[in-house]
Amino acid sequence: MDTFLQQLVNGLTIGSMFALIALGYTMVYGVMKLINFAHGDLVAGSAFVGLFVFSQLLGGEVSLPVVIGVFLLTIVAISLLGFTVERLAYRPLRTAPRLSAVVSALGASMVIQNGIMLLWGPQMQIFPELIPSVIWEVGGVVISLMQVLIMALSTLLMVGLYFFVEKTKIGTAIRASAIDQDAARLMGINVNNIIVTIFLIGSSLGAVGGLFIGLYYRGITFNMGWQYGLYAFVAAIIGGIGNIPGAMLGGLLLGLFKAFIAGYVSSTWADAFTFILLIVILIVRPTGILGERVAEKV
Amino acid sequence: MMKKIQVIGYPLFFVVMALLPAVLDSRWLVVATTFVIFTIVALSQDVILGKAGMFNMGQALFFGLGAYTTAILNSVYGWPMLATLPVAIIIPALFGIVLAGPIIHLRGDYLLVVTIGFNIVFIQAVQNNLGGVTGGPNGIFGLEMLQIPGMGAFQEAAPYYAALFVLLLTLFIIRNLESSKAGRALHYLREDDLAAGSIGINTRVYKIFAFGVGAGIAGMAGTVFANQYSAVSPEAFNFLQSVLFFSIVIVGGSSVPGILLGVFVMFVLPEIFREFATWRYFIFGFAMIFTMILRPRGLWPAKFGRIPKAFLEKGGNHGQQ
Repeated sequence: MDTFLQQLVNGLTIGSMFALIALGYTMVYGVMKLINFAHGDLVAGSAFVGLFVFSQLLGGEVSLPVVIGVFLLTIVAISLLGFTVERLAYRPLRTAPRLSAVVSALGASMVIQNGIMLLWGPQMQIFPELIPSVIWEVGGVVISLMQVLIMALSTLLMVGLYFFVEKTKIGTAIRASAIDQDAARLMGINVNNIIVTIFLIGSSLGAVGGLFIGLYYRGITFNMGWQYGLYAFVAAIIGGIGNIPGAMLGGLLLGLFKAFIAGYVSSTWADAFTFILLIVILIVRPTGILGERVAEKV
Repeated sequence: MMKKIQVIGYPLFFVVMALLPAVLDSRWLVVATTFVIFTIVALSQDVILGKAGMFNMGQALFFGLGAYTTAILNSVYGWPMLATLPVAIIIPALFGIVLAGPIIHLRGDYLLVVTIGFNIVFIQAVQNNLGGVTGGPNGIFGLEMLQIPGMGAFQEAAPYYAALFVLLLTLFIIRNLESSKAGRALHYLREDDLAAGSIGINTRVYKIFAFGVGAGIAGMAGTVFANQYSAVSPEAFNFLQSVLFFSIVIVGGSSVPGILLGVFVMFVLPEIFREFATWRYFIFGFAMIFTMILRPRGLWPAKFGRIPKAFLEKGGNHGQQ
């Protein structure tokens, strides 16, 4: 029972990180029908930028204003990077064949990933301990301040995003562009601006996710974007890609699944089991758990 | 144009390739062999991705299955290298068929992610030494060298000629495929699989067929690879390799000259410019983006049949949805 509760806490923590990252994939896919392969590398880049901001720009002393500063500056830097990627690699291919855009996205991912390597080197870097390590023990379950903060902040961001997309005018425009870009344009929506908006939002959420990964796992490597990005993308697909609550649900489910596999089976098989889960879900529900069933258009 | 290339270009290419070992030292011979092997894998990827239009990003899985089949049969059961070849074709082909069966109805990006998944499951199974025969993370080494009788002084070039022979075989298979009923069926289902179904093409069977053929060819390349390095290890078949093969086919334009060019740029140029090794993927990333922006259909787009250019839809996307 203790293992169960402990893995539940761990699973919810990593699940909320996956969910944050998955939102970036799912929002871009919803509007552009394109897997944003560079998103995972933006997430990795965020951890490195956070490290740089903390140790080089803000002096390397932990205090509340510094931590908030690290988060804000990193979010700004990564969303600008996301904006640049959209401008250079995706916008010129808006009307090109689908596969060309996929390859361009892979190219953008390689550029960012290897850009990180050229700037910071191929070896693992240690992310600073920005949050004091306070640990509580509740009924045999160990829970840290960091885990509580990660879960609370992720929940806050996701609830905020949900209301933004459902209740505001821009949110309505985002949903309209996701359903039909041409029709949205006819209604006077500037779809290009909407795409820029979702890239900015997606990259910002990814930046927070990247900082959380740095804080939680401590060791950061230039190529970790593929790994976390792939997990987050799988989470988005499990939930039903293009569907915002779906990405949150998928992220949490995947985090729990991964934690329970690690707790009860073996972590060396975690990746394999995750993908077997994905394959089974896609065989049973080809568009994910919350995904709409789309009839074949003729 | 295309005809001219087939009549003059291919024989010329093979004559040049056959004479290469005479002028290359042993390091460059290894590079040349690798070039030929990766060309075969990229061509096998092209059968699934380019010809049938299915987003497969797990081709390294079939390549690895072939290589591991050869390595296990050779190291555990003592089979000679050449005798493992048929098994190394059949096992990946069977896997291709069995794995494709339940997922073939998935569309576009979903298929892409599932094939990535297959690749990752394979790598993890191999790394965890499934069945105790895969050698874990280190792989299997010390395989027997291929012996071709009568080669004499050219013995060193034996793996190279084996690879070149397999490449010739692959091109022959692909040429026949293109001009056969199955090839036309694949072409139609890439252009529009609903329309293909409604003119009586059994799309499901042909999609699975494409996976089987592509996997079988990749398996052959795997045997040659195991033979070249006398070793196999998991990293050689990981998901990054699949990404590279995927990109090569699309950047090349899914034609034979385009794929040759793509493999040359991805695997041979880095050997020439060794001092830029760390910049390799950084530069490739930019190259991939700019190629796609400037030539969205690839460097050397494939043509099909004898339809005059004027009748082709301008800016048509050639079946890529």
